[in-house]
Amino acid sequence: MMTFHASAIKLSTGAIADDSNTIGDFVRIMPDGGIYFQFVKHEMGQGIATAMAQIFSDELCADWERVKIEFPSADLKRYQNDANGGHDTGGSCTIIYQWDILRKAGATARQMLVEAAAKHWDVASSACYAQSHMVINRTTGKRIDFGKLAKLAAVMAIPAVVSLKEQTDFRIIGKPKTSKLIPGMVRGELKFGIDAKVPGMLYAVIARCPVFKGKLTSFDASQTLKIPGVKKVFSTQPIAGLQIHAPYMPYDIREGVVVAGDSFWAVKKGQEALKISWEEGINGTLSSQDFERMVEKRALHKTDPTGYVGDENAVSNVTHVRKTIRASYVFPHQLHSCMEPLNCTAHVTDKGCDVWLGTQAPHLIVSELNRVFKFPEDSIKVHLFPSGGGFGRRYYPDMAVEAAFISRELGNLPVKMIWTREDDHQANLGHLFQHLEYQVALDKENHLYAWYEKELRSYTWAAKYADPQIPAMAYDIPNIRFDFEDLIDDELVHSSAWRGVVGHGRFYSECFIDEIAAELKVDPYQFRLSLLKEGRDVFVGDIYPVSSSRIIRVLRLAAEKAGWGKKMEPGEGMGLAVCPYGNSYCGVVAEVAVNDNKLTIKKMTIGVDCGKVINPSGAANQIEGGIVWSLTALMYGGYPIKNGRATQRNFHENKLLRMDECPPIDVHFVPSQDERPWGIGEISSPLGVPAVLNAIFAATGKRIRKVPIGLEVVGSRFQV
Amino acid sequence: MAIIQLTVNGKPYAVETDPTMPLLWVIRDIVGLTGTKYGCGIAQCGACTVHLDGMAVRSCSVPISAVGDKKVTTIEGLSSNGQHPLQLAWEELDVPQCGYCQAGQIMNAAALLSQKPNPSNDEIEMGMRGNLCRCGTYQRIFRAIRKAALINAQTPSK
Repeated sequence: MMTFHASAIKLSTGAIADDSNTIGDFVRIMPDGGIYFQFVKHEMGQGIATAMAQIFSDELCADWERVKIEFPSADLKRYQNDANGGHDTGGSCTIIYQWDILRKAGATARQMLVEAAAKHWDVASSACYAQSHMVINRTTGKRIDFGKLAKLAAVMAIPAVVSLKEQTDFRIIGKPKTSKLIPGMVRGELKFGIDAKVPGMLYAVIARCPVFKGKLTSFDASQTLKIPGVKKVFSTQPIAGLQIHAPYMPYDIREGVVVAGDSFWAVKKGQEALKISWEEGINGTLSSQDFERMVEKRALHKTDPTGYVGDENAVSNVTHVRKTIRASYVFPHQLHSCMEPLNCTAHVTDKGCDVWLGTQAPHLIVSELNRVFKFPEDSIKVHLFPSGGGFGRRYYPDMAVEAAFISRELGNLPVKMIWTREDDHQANLGHLFQHLEYQVALDKENHLYAWYEKELRSYTWAAKYADPQIPAMAYDIPNIRFDFEDLIDDELVHSSAWRGVVGHGRFYSECFIDEIAAELKVDPYQFRLSLLKEGRDVFVGDIYPVSSSRIIRVLRLAAEKAGWGKKMEPGEGMGLAVCPYGNSYCGVVAEVAVNDNKLTIKKMTIGVDCGKVINPSGAANQIEGGIVWSLTALMYGGYPIKNGRATQRNFHENKLLRMDECPPIDVHFVPSQDERPWGIGEISSPLGVPAVLNAIFAATGKRIRKVPIGLEVVGSRFQV
Repeated sequence: MAIIQLTVNGKPYAVETDPTMPLLWVIRDIVGLTGTKYGCGIAQCGACTVHLDGMAVRSCSVPISAVGDKKVTTIEGLSSNGQHPLQLAWEELDVPQCGYCQAGQIMNAAALLSQKPNPSNDEIEMGMRGNLCRCGTYQRIFRAIRKAALINAQTPSK
C-alpha cells in the first residue's frame, strides 16, 4: 500500500499540513492498483462521498470500478475548514468548494504517476500520459498500471503547476453512478456511528428535561438500580449550560439523569424506572398556541427594515396605491427525525479522549471537548462514520460532550450513549419557527408596485439580523422592503437548523405571489413570467445574485414537463413554486385532487439547474428526497407542545410520509452552460409545500397558510 | 437472566440474557451483527426488520424469549454473496441515500416477494408502508422491488 505524500495535497489544496503526516490524504493506491479515495466530509445520505470520488477519480484518470471510499479519522490540521475544504459539512456547500480542490488534487496525483512512469522508462514526462488507470508511453506504446507506479510516484517532486482535464475529456464526472456505499448497505456491512464497538464498552441513556429551559430538581434511582445490568445513575448538571438569554447556541447541554449499564436494554428499562422531579421554569405552562399568539402580536410591531429597494414606505403611499393585499404564513418547529437516533461512543483516557460517531462538524466536537473538559485538542480523536440522516441536526456536538462526560464519570470506561426514539421526540432540538407577514400594493394600473415582508424567526446563529437582507426573489417590483425580528428570548422549543433551513418560511413568498395572481385573475405561471426579466441579476445581500434567466429556465422546464395549462377536472389543480438556493435553482409543479377534505397528490414535477451535474442519479435522488421531506412537513409536520412538553412520543404520533402516500416524483435537469457544480441537497425541500398549497387553491379556491394542513392524505401510485 | 438458544443466519448461538430483551438488541449487541438497525423500538418504522422462519418481523418488539426454535435471518444472511435479486436491484437503481433504513426495507421486501413473487403495485405499496425512509427513497424502493420481481421471473427455478 502506498500513500501519497501529504505535501502533494498541501500544494494542490492550499491546506496546511505537517509534511511528515501522511494520514488522511485524498488517496491511497495499493500495489494491485486499488484506489482508496479518502473521504473527509460527512456522508449522511446526500451522496457526496460518491460525487467527490467521481471528481477526484476522473482527474486522476482512474478506472471507476477500482475506486473504493475510505472514511479516515478527523484531522483538523490536515483538513482545515478554510473555504469548506475541511470536514465541515452543511449548507449544500460541499460540492461547490470541493470541485476545485479535488480536481487539483486528482490532477496532481495523476501528474506524479506520469512523472514516476517517465522516470521508470527514463523518458521525458511529456512523452507519457495517463489513461484508464495506466500511464502510457507515447513513443513505444508501453503501458504500466497505477498500482505498479504508486511507490515511486509517492516520492516524486510535487509539480508546481498541474493541468486540469478539458471538460470534454471527462469520463466519470457527469455520468450517473450508483453510490459506492450501496454494496455495504444492502449486505448490512456499512457501519454507522451507532454500530461502533469498543472493547469493554458500556451503554448509557439520558433522561433529559422534557421542558426547554427547565432544570433538574431531584431524582430517585432506587428502582432503576435494582434492574440487572444497571451500573450507575448520575446527573448531567456538571456539563449542562443552557444560557437563558440570547444568543444561546443549540449545543448547550440540557439537564438530565444518566443511566449507565451493560446493555442498551437494561439502561432503557432503568430510564423508565427513574423518578425525577423537574423545575419546569418559564416554559412549563406554555403551549404551541401561546407561542404562536405571542408571535402574531409581535408580527404587527413596527420595525425598521433590514433592507429595501426603492421607497421603504411604498406600501402606504396613498398617491400611487390603489389596493393592498395582506397575508400571514406560519412554518412551525419541526423534528429532524434522523432514522439513526443520535448517539456517540466515547472513551476518555488519561491521555485524552476518543469519540466515534457520524458528525457534520468534527471541529465543533474538538473545540467543545477542549472547552468543557480541558482535553488538549491534539489528544481528541474523532472517528468518523457515515450517519443515518443528518439534516442539520448532526452539525451540533452535544452528543459527544454528553458521551465523554459519561465515560469520565464511569471512571474512564468506554461507553456508547444512544438517544432513544422517545428522547428524540421529547427533548431534542427542533427546526426554527418562522412567521411571515406579507403585504403588497397594487397601483392604479394594477401593477405590483410595492412588496413588504416581515419575518419573525426563532434562530439566527446569533446574528442581529437576517441574511439575505431582502427576499431572495427575482420578481421585478419597484419597491421591496424586508423587516426582521428574532424570537430567541421567548423560545419554547430549542431551535436549530433543518434541511432547507430558512427557505421553508421564506419561500412562502411563492404562495403570496399566487395570491396576487388570483386577485388579478391571471394565470400564476404567466404572472410570474411577467415579473421576470431575462438577463436581470438581483442582488439580495447573499453571496450569489439571483438570476432571473435561471429562474425562468427552471420554471419553464417544470411547467412544460408537468403539462401546465392542461384541462383539469373539477376538484383538481396544479400549483407551482420556484426558488434559488445558494447558486442552484429549482421549479416545482404539484398536481393534486381534493375531494371531501381528502388530498391526493397525483404528481410532483421538478426542473432543476444546479450547474454542472456531477452525478445525475445521485442528484435526482436528492431532489426526490427533498420533495418527500417537504410533503412530510405539509401533511404531518410540526412539533406540538403542551405545557412545555412535546405531545408526540414516537412515530405512532409523529407521522412521516410513507410509501403509499408518496406521489410520483419526476425530476428534470436544465442542460447547463455552467462549468462547475452548485449544491443539490436542500434546494427542493422548501418547495413542495408552496407548490402543493398553490395547487390546493387551484383545485378548491381555499387558501391554506400554515403547515401541517390537516387534510387527510389519499395515496397515489408510482409509475413503473 | 436466562440462557437462550437461537439460530441466526444458520449459526447456533447460546446467549445469556434478560428474557425480555428484544431480539433486535440480542442480534446487535450480543450476537454482534449490526446490519439490523434500531429506529423506534415500537414497531413503527421497520428499520429492525428480520425474518423468523421466513416471515418478516420487527425485531425491536419480539422478546428473545418468544423466538423459540424459529430460525432468524438478518440482512447479513439474506444471501451468501449479496446476489439476492433485491440486493442487485437496489444497486442497479441506486436506491439508498443514507442507507440506514434500507436493510429493513430489503428484508421486508424479501418476505413480500417470497409470498407474492409478482406483486401488484398496490400490494407493493401497502406491503411496504410499515417501513419509514426519512430520506424519501420510496419511489426507487418501489421500482427496485418491481425490478427484483422481474429478475425472479426470469431466473429459471432450480
